[in-house]
Parts: sequence; structure tokens; C-alpha cells
Amino acid sequence: MSQNYVERPRFSCALGGALETITSLPGVAPVIHAASGCGGNLFGAQQAGGLYGAGYCGGLSMPSSNVAENEIIFGGVERLTEQIESTLELVDARLLFIVTGCMTDIIGDDLRAAINPCLGRGTDILALHTGGFRGNSYKGYDLTLQTLFTEYTVKTVRTQADLVNVWGLAPAHDPFFRGDLENVKHLLALLGLRANTFFTYDETLSNLKNAGAARLNIVLSPVNGLGAAAAFQEKHGVPAIVVDLPIGAGAAERFLYTIAAALGLEKKIAAKAVGAEKDRYYRYIERVSDSYTDMDLQQYFLTVANSTYAAPLTRCLAEDFGWLPELTVVTDLLDEDEQEKVRAGFRDFRFTPAPRLVFETDASQIQRHFTGAQRPYRQERYYDAPAPLFVLGSSQEAELATRLGAKYLSVSYPLNDRAVLSCGYAGFRGGLRLFEDLLYALIGR
Amino acid sequence: MGIADSKTVPKREARLDAIETFGGPLRDLVKHPGGGCLINCRRSFSQTCNCQMGLSLSMLNTMPDIVIIKHGPVGCGNSSQNDKNFTSGLRARDIKVRPLIWASTNLNENDIINGGEKKLREAIISLDRLHRPAAIVVLTTCAPSIIGDDADDVVEKARAETSAKVLLVRCEGFRTKISAMGYDDVYHAILKGLDLEDQREEDLLARRVDNEEFLWRRDYEAQRTINVFNAFSVGRPDELEIERLLNALDLKVNFYPNFAHPDAFRRITRAALNVGLCPTHDDYFLQYLEERYGMPYFIGEMPLGLSNTAVWLQELGRRLGREKEAALLVAQEEELLQKGLDLYRPLLRGKKVFITGGEIRVVVTAMLLEELGCELVGLRGHHYDLFGPHVYGKLLENHADLEVNIATTQTFELANLLKRAKPDLVFAHGGSGVVAAKMGVPVVPVFSQGQYYFGYSGAFSIARRAAKALQNPAYFRNLQANTRLPYKKEWFGRSPFDYIRKE
Repeated sequence: MSQNYVERPRFSCALGGALETITSLPGVAPVIHAASGCGGNLFGAQQAGGLYGAGYCGGLSMPSSNVAENEIIFGGVERLTEQIESTLELVDARLLFIVTGCMTDIIGDDLRAAINPCLGRGTDILALHTGGFRGNSYKGYDLTLQTLFTEYTVKTVRTQADLVNVWGLAPAHDPFFRGDLENVKHLLALLGLRANTFFTYDETLSNLKNAGAARLNIVLSPVNGLGAAAAFQEKHGVPAIVVDLPIGAGAAERFLYTIAAALGLEKKIAAKAVGAEKDRYYRYIERVSDSYTDMDLQQYFLTVANSTYAAPLTRCLAEDFGWLPELTVVTDLLDEDEQEKVRAGFRDFRFTPAPRLVFETDASQIQRHFTGAQRPYRQERYYDAPAPLFVLGSSQEAELATRLGAKYLSVSYPLNDRAVLSCGYAGFRGGLRLFEDLLYALIGR
Repeated sequence: MGIADSKTVPKREARLDAIETFGGPLRDLVKHPGGGCLINCRRSFSQTCNCQMGLSLSMLNTMPDIVIIKHGPVGCGNSSQNDKNFTSGLRARDIKVRPLIWASTNLNENDIINGGEKKLREAIISLDRLHRPAAIVVLTTCAPSIIGDDADDVVEKARAETSAKVLLVRCEGFRTKISAMGYDDVYHAILKGLDLEDQREEDLLARRVDNEEFLWRRDYEAQRTINVFNAFSVGRPDELEIERLLNALDLKVNFYPNFAHPDAFRRITRAALNVGLCPTHDDYFLQYLEERYGMPYFIGEMPLGLSNTAVWLQELGRRLGREKEAALLVAQEEELLQKGLDLYRPLLRGKKVFITGGEIRVVVTAMLLEELGCELVGLRGHHYDLFGPHVYGKLLENHADLEVNIATTQTFELANLLKRAKPDLVFAHGGSGVVAAKMGVPVVPVFSQGQYYFGYSGAFSIARRAAKALQNPAYFRNLQANTRLPYKKEWFGRSPFDYIRKE
């Protein structure tokens, strides 16, 4: 990893994350204040999230001021006002979200001045500086949520005892965010809770508007969405709990007990929920166990993923399926404090030791981390190697898997070799789906 | 002053009278040589599309054995996340498949204040040592350009320390609204940074005495070799079709610039003629090769569809002394093709088609579809320039009143136009097709690198795919019934060109 560049970064910029977030919300349209290429280029990056496309007003439908030399020299405020006005006239949205690119941030365009003439026309307008140099796409996701929670979510004194908010998965860059959120929502429903996730298709903007009435915020990532949690607590007084995304049965069980405890629910409510789901889960596992056992499908494995997915995914394979974790590579650019939070997810693995954990952004360095840790071969007749080996990573790791002679499942961004629709690996249901996908990768090709 | 002397690439707005904003009848558009007095039009509502960096990358993301460095914040050029076009393109050409290697200097707030030159320098040196590529291509983006990073200087100095050739592409998005200028930017970097002659061979020859036969053979080969310039939208099947036709005229073909190794450019000057397949793509470079090396060039209409392929082949035949052979080839190919097209004519006859995409490609596609019996009901090109009047003029006789739109995507105008034109089938450029799809209209992409589009095989392929799309529109009809476009109802009662303003 170099301080001077990132090779094949698995994130885009703050504007990219903001756009992925905004265009994933129901009834919201972005207005990009940037050059003509920013939105189109970042949409290309978005599609690498498992073919995650334009939706209602994303992709090449995104309104954009398309500033050029003239605005860079003379300022773009007037052009932005004109673009917001025409967008209000043309685009059917309940909320407009103005976001900026590098060039308009550097020249210092005043967003307030641009927006003021357009207020009071029945459409809410928010604005955020998202020039790409302000951070990566996860930061853009977090900043966008912060703005929504502090400026759009209504302040209320009435708390609803059965309402919680859930976030932490960045649209597209967490390619399974929709399925995972649905699965988490299902888990919470087992505890008698209603959950706002803001992005699942059963919700509207009202969920976001009324999120202030929740009792608890649940953040499903050790690093993403924490700023939003702090801002939420400050504005609405709702506390947050940070938990690992509950991938698979073991994690789902812990998740249910943890949330029940955090909300002071009776333990037997959680126990009942766990019992029913686990019973269903193991009826499925039971049926495939003949083949699983006979074929000896247990694998050593290597995980390459972002901070949110790396630990829970590795743990699920190790603790639920009994695979042997060799190495986990976290591909985000993190500071010391954030790295420590990710490390916490790798403590206390049951049954088998936790894998070696490496923070590495550069795709071409990953093989070095793997092979560098292997004991050199000294012409012994019998040599202990991590084989059979399985790789879970982005589609970039397909090449690595081929070189290592490993089977492979693509699970992290960029995900160009599979389409992700409603698939998610969270919860008991997600665990089954993950096992299905792993077995298909092992025996199907 | 010649092309190579200039530090920067001239804008197409000036060089080619290019415009990207027009709506109205065809007769009004072709009145203007290039964009002409339309150049001052703009939109008060606009949507995101692409920039010259995106189009620069469409070329660079095909070049084997290079490392691309995007000098800017980490989002710039992030569309390269998907390198499938690169890997499948390598596979189709029997080149060893490698992932696309690119990096970002990841400029942050601190760099915006203090400058990013040091990072760029270090990135060039490190990536050269790590990957040992044939070339490193640096692309500059908006932010470092506004804060005044001197990328020219960094690259110039780094060259002394790298084994790779280092190229600099200046493609800041805000500089132009004609994103196709990105092609000129890359060619400018190529002509400045790569060898276009084989100096090593010349040096060796200079030391030999008995090299007459070698030289004679080399000249003979060059006389029957032509360079054909492909593009992102020209896949391997199209190259094979072009090669097949030119081989039939006893010509050898080299393809540039996409998927050509940086070292292969050394042989570029050893050919009788440079042929650009797409007028939007190559004129800057071909002019340079003529100016600097005296190589003649030919940029005709795309060889696509019956009439345009015939004209293209006959023109090549005329230029290379193979007139009779070309005429014979055209006659033979057309006879065979007609039999193939007859399979689909009944299905395609009278079907209303709407075409949206690149400036020239939309017109030649329209002409082919008319040859197949379809009715043209709408046309929009991403931009319009000096190459426009000739080819758009070919449609004047029958379509003087046809509503034509010049827009780099701008899907709101497309949606409105489609509502009015009510086509049975849409041919669309990537990114725009989904609009037609959500309106229930079957879509065929105007390019798809895995399939034929050019020449006779292309005509057959287009007919077959049009028929295929028409045979079962279920996906599109279902999508229409269950999704909606993001525009208010009133938009569809207004002129599609209501947001075009004349300054």
C-alpha cells in the first residue's frame, strides 16, 4: 500500500457515494452541480455493484448542471439555480438533493445562495458539498445520511417503543445491501420490532421523515454510518448500537439476543425467534449434509472484502460451516482507529483460530500477502499447504483464484460477474443462500 | 503550426464546429456547415452524461501492457471498475488475458491545498517498478488542473527514471461539452509519447550494405497494407468482417488504436493508407500522420448496411487501384446477403424505428434499416460537426421534416421524443436504452462488441437482432406496466426542445 496512489480502488469518491445513496431512496432526485462527466462516470462505478442500475432517477437521468469553462471562471451559482428551477418543473420528486463535484467546490460556489430562490415550492431541497477530494464513497454515504437525518427527519418527542432504524450498508458498494436489509428487517420483526431501513422497497420517504420516533439506531458496520449515528443522536436523542452485520445462523442468533437486550425485551422473545428460525435453517442444512459429508467439501479460504463484510463473512464460514480461514484482506483505506474497530470483529473465533488480517487497498498486492505467509517449501516429501483453497472476493479476485488454483465466489465490490437483485447473506435465510452459492461454486463449475 | 507542435489539443467546438444542442427538423440542421451558428445553444435543464475523460478511457482501457494513472480525486475514471470489455477483447484477439491495471492518485483535501505533483511523480515511479508496463498513461482531471498542478513537468521529469514510456492525456471534463474530444486527447498523447517509426530497424539497416531486397520487400508489403482505425464501439467481429472484405481485395490490415500494443505503433507508418471507420474518432490523428509522414487517409461513412458498405469498398478500391475487384466483391456479397435478409424482411417491413447514439452511426444505421423496409421515425446524435452535413444530407430527400435531436444522451428529451414518435423498435447507445425499455419499446444496442455490426455480416446480424427483439417484447412491456419515468406528466405535453435556449 502506497501513500501516493491506490491501485484499482474499490471505492469511488464522496460524490459517488452520495449519488448511490440518494438515487436508492424512494421519491428523491439528485441535482449534481459538477461537470457533465461526473454523474455518468460514477454511474459506471455504481453498476459494478452487481449490475446495480439507474432505478427511478439515477444513471443518465440524473439532473446535472454540467458546468464548463465559463462557470469555472465566472462561478456556477446562477447556472445551479437555473438547473434546480428547471428540475422542479420537470422532475417528479418529493425531495431534491443537491450535491457538488470537485470543480464547483474548489471555486467555492455558494449552495445556499443558489438554493434560496427555489425554496417554498412544495418540494424539499437539501444540499451537501461532496467534492471528490472530501473522501471516498463510504464517506459520501455517511455524509448524505447525516444531512438527511439532521435536515429532513422530523424532530419528535414521541418515541415509538417498537420502532428501530437500521443502516450501515452503502448502496452498490455493499452489493447485497437490499437483500441484507430485508433479511435484518425480518429478524427484527421476529422480535416484534418495526424497522426503518430507508432503502428496502416496502418503504417510502415517510420512513425517513418519521425516523426520529425510533427507540434505537442499529448500525451494521464497524466504520460506515457512524457519523450519521452521532448526528442522529445529537439531533433526535436516539442512541445507537454498532453490531456486525449478522451473516449466517450463528451471527443472527447473537444479533437477536443483543438487540433484545439493548431494548430490554424479555430474553424468551428472542429465544422463541431463534428457536423457530434455527429449526427451519437446520432442516435445510440436514438435507444437504449427505452430499456435503460424502464429498468432503470443507475448504481453507481467503476473504477479500470491505470493512463491513470482512469479519462477519469470515466468521460465518468459520463458525457456521466449519471452513478454515487463512487470510482476510480488508480493502478500505482506514485510519488507525477504524482499523482497530475492524480488528475487533476478528476476536474470539469459536472452534478455529481467526485468520491473519491485512489492510490492503491494492489488488496486485493481495497474492503477496497470501503467499508471503506460507512456509517455504523445502523439498519435503510431505508438505502442509492450505488446500483445497477457496477465495471469496470481488471479481478482481477471479484472477487471483485462478493463479492459486482455488475455487471462487464473488461477494464484494466490484462485482461484475454476477447480478445481485434480492440476494442477501444476512440472517438465517441469508446463511442458507450463502451455503447454496458456495456449494454451487464448488460443484457447479 | 502543425498538430504536434501544440501543447494542448484544440477544442472541437472550434476545430470542427461541433455542437451538442439542437432540436428541430433535419432540413434546419443540415443547413449549417457543422454546428455553425447553432454553437451558442445550451440547455436550461440538463442531465449527466460523460466527459472527455470517459471517452479517453474508452480507448485507453483497451491497450495491452499499460498502466493507467488517474491524477485526481479517487472517483475520477472510476467507471473502469468493470474491465470486462478489456478482458473479453483480449480474449477475442488471442492476447494473453490480464486484468486492467489502473490507479488513482486519490487527491484529498490536503492535496487540493498543497498540490498533487509529488503524489503523481511517486505513483509513476512506483507503478513502473511494480508492473514494468510498456507504457504508463497519466490522465489529468478537473481538480489538479484548476489548482494548477504542472502534470507536463512531472511527466517530463519522470520519463528519465522509468522503463515505461510515459504518456500524458489532458482530459479535464469541464474544458469542453464535446466529450468526443477525449479521442483527440489520447491521440495527442500517443503522437507525443509513442514511437511511430521503427528507429531500431532503421539503425540496423543503415549498417547493412546488401539490404536492397529487404527494402524492396518492405515497400511492397507496405503498399498492400492498410491501417484501419477501430473504436470502442467496434468489436472483434467487426474487425474480422472488415479484414475479410479487405483480404478479398488482396490487402493486409492492421488495426489501431484499440487493443494495439504500445510497441505496435512503431509499424503504423508502414502502410499505404490510413482508414478511419468512425469520423468522430480519428481525424485528428490521421491528419497528423498525413502532415508528418505523408500518409494519405480516408474517412468515409461507416461501412455499415448495403449502400454505405458498397460506397466504402468502392472508394477504397479506387484509392488503391482495385476498382474492378471492389465492384465484383460488392456484387457477390450483396447477392449472398440479400438471400439472408429475405428471411427477416417480412417481419421488419413497415416497422417504425427510432435511433439514438453516435453522430454518424445513427444515420448509417437508419439507412440500413430503411433498406430492410423499416420506417425511420426519429433520429438523435450525441453531437454534430463538420462530418455531419454530408451523411445527414443523404436522408434529406425523404426525411427533410424528420424531427432530429442533437444531444449527448439527455434522456429527458429522448423520453419526450419517443412518446411522440411511438416507435416499434429503438436502436440505442448504452445508458439510453433503458429509457425506451421503460416505455415498453424493444431495444437493440447500437453497438455490442461481441457481435457483428459492420459490413455484410453486420447487416445480417442487425436484421436478425431487430427481428429477434420484435418477436417477443414481453420484457419491455412488463417493465413499462410496472415502472415509471421520473418526469411529470406535463413534460410529455410540451416540445421536447423546450429547455434549449439560444444565447
